[in-house]
Amino acid sequence: MKFAVKAWSKNGRARVGSLHLGSCPHLSIEIETPALLLTTRKGLPVFISPDLLPSLPSPDSHLLQFSPLHFITVHGLSEYAEFFMLYSSESSFAMGFARSMEGLSTKTISNIGGLHQMLGLQEYGLAAVPRDSIVCLPEHESSNKMGTSFETPSGRHLIKPVEYMEMISSMKPNLYATLADEVPAWVSEKRNKASVDRTVRWLDDCLKLSTTGGAVFGSIVGGSSVEESQRCAQEVARRNDTFGVAWNRFTTFFNHAQSISSPNTGRAIKSQYCCDEFGSSTST
Amino acid sequence: MPVGTQGTIKGLTTSQLEEIGCQIILGNTYHLALRPTSELIDQLGGLHKFMNWPRALLTDSGGFQMVSLLHLADITEKGVTFQSPVDGKPMLLTPEESIQIQNRIGADIIMALDDVVKTTITGPRIEEAMYRTLRWIDRCIAAHKRPNEQNLFGIVQGGLDPVLRDICVKGLVDRNLPGYAIGGLAGGEDKDSFWRVVAQCTAALPEDKPRYVMGVGYPLDIVVCSALGADMYDCVYPTRTARFGTALIPEGVLKLKHQAMADDTRPVDPSCECMVCKNYTRAYIHCLVTKDAMGSQLLSYHNLYYMMKLSRDLHSSIIQGRFPDSPKAMFLNGSATRWRLLESIFLPAVLHSRHPKIGL
Repeated sequence: MKFAVKAWSKNGRARVGSLHLGSCPHLSIEIETPALLLTTRKGLPVFISPDLLPSLPSPDSHLLQFSPLHFITVHGLSEYAEFFMLYSSESSFAMGFARSMEGLSTKTISNIGGLHQMLGLQEYGLAAVPRDSIVCLPEHESSNKMGTSFETPSGRHLIKPVEYMEMISSMKPNLYATLADEVPAWVSEKRNKASVDRTVRWLDDCLKLSTTGGAVFGSIVGGSSVEESQRCAQEVARRNDTFGVAWNRFTTFFNHAQSISSPNTGRAIKSQYCCDEFGSSTST
Repeated sequence: MPVGTQGTIKGLTTSQLEEIGCQIILGNTYHLALRPTSELIDQLGGLHKFMNWPRALLTDSGGFQMVSLLHLADITEKGVTFQSPVDGKPMLLTPEESIQIQNRIGADIIMALDDVVKTTITGPRIEEAMYRTLRWIDRCIAAHKRPNEQNLFGIVQGGLDPVLRDICVKGLVDRNLPGYAIGGLAGGEDKDSFWRVVAQCTAALPEDKPRYVMGVGYPLDIVVCSALGADMYDCVYPTRTARFGTALIPEGVLKLKHQAMADDTRPVDPSCECMVCKNYTRAYIHCLVTKDAMGSQLLSYHNLYYMMKLSRDLHSSIIQGRFPDSPKAMFLNGSATRWRLLESIFLPAVLHSRHPKIGL
């Protein structure tokens, strides 16, 4: 993947750029930034089947966001589920288990050849972000130093970097955000600081486990604290393998923008991705 | 004919329907009259324009939905009295009103209001319904304001009684209508009786007019009725079963919700050429079905494609003289024994009919 800034606005920090998705040999898509990613559920925009996608402007509509957690499957429950479905008269109870089984194992996705293959969207760019503001909400109170807890349609799951990277390597997206310990603005300073420490550590874990060649976007947290955001940004910038950064909280957008641009970040961040509270994504 | 109840086939755009090869769609008068009302559709230039469908449309009379959906529908000589689902007021659907609504909607084929009874009912009610249907057809013909643009089809009633069916057929044929439907057969009766009635009607109806078997849609039923000489069918089955996660395949049905589908990386139907089977695996659709709208959309697309292909295969096997031996179209529910069973049913169904034309 290549990114280049083409022009800057005269008095602000806005810029026009071009994102070149070239991770597969035949894939050569150039997307102008700022760019809006289409939100998807399990890889496809909610009501737009792939034969209708070409009716959207091209190539602007060729970048799709997805959450790997949409595909989560709960292996351990499968035996119990079968037991309940066969022997239980409590069909609703069985259904509860059955529902959590509706996912795709990473093995199956690998067998199919990755997400582009599975979705029939070889001409599109896929961006993986763990959180999805509608169905995969981070639960900061249940997160711990091992991983982030998400509330998903198939229940509460604690996702560790190794599990996340397993999903990423089977799905092979063009780019992905690393696992972040997201906390709301009202947590204590201590908790906020811990979230930055964890996020940076998980960034290193993800980088170590990275095998797919997708571009890594280091997640930036820090709540409403400028210092913490700055510290996080500096740490992310320090890692040479991060292609870009991913912000997760719109409310602290301006703090982040400041921290990225400040001279202390040490190295120019190539590309920045911001996910706002309402679930849509913009790349600036 | 796929059923587009509210002016749309659930989950599919009209461009997709064109691509699949649909030529005619059914719209439900009852639902359309409720929302957005036939007057609005008329104002906007008719249903074709409203739903952006350039090909053919057929509307039913509204009577069937009324009887099946509303608890307190009551049929009198005047028409069908019911409680309006909007405000509970008593309302009346007369043959005249039904035709006027259909005139406003603007479909190419419109259906007469008939007095439909379930085939499981016995007794004088069936005879009453059949004669009333004949009286109502005259009122429908009189009320029809666009006979040069819209084709009014009559509906043959009479339950499972061959004598009543015969009287009804004769009565409708006397009115020289553009086409005829065989009604009252879409629920509950046993298959032998069903086929017998269809055979009797198709034998008695004019050769040069279309015969429409209403509400018939399982693939096997369509094949059998085609063998008996019917021409048109409508059913919600392909799209409704798709929304429950079931795909139609040559071997029968495939329940995508089943846990075994979670690892299956084959397409839904390896022999199918549709967009869904060319791009997706059973595993992916399994993770979508019943949880995400996209699952229903993809399966609806495949199921309709399958039904259209079934039609085309029927056509070509009839033309090429291979019907009913055609292996591809006829490999339904998995075995040739099924076909031999069917053949053994055709002959008696035809023989048992008392119509002079069929007597062998």
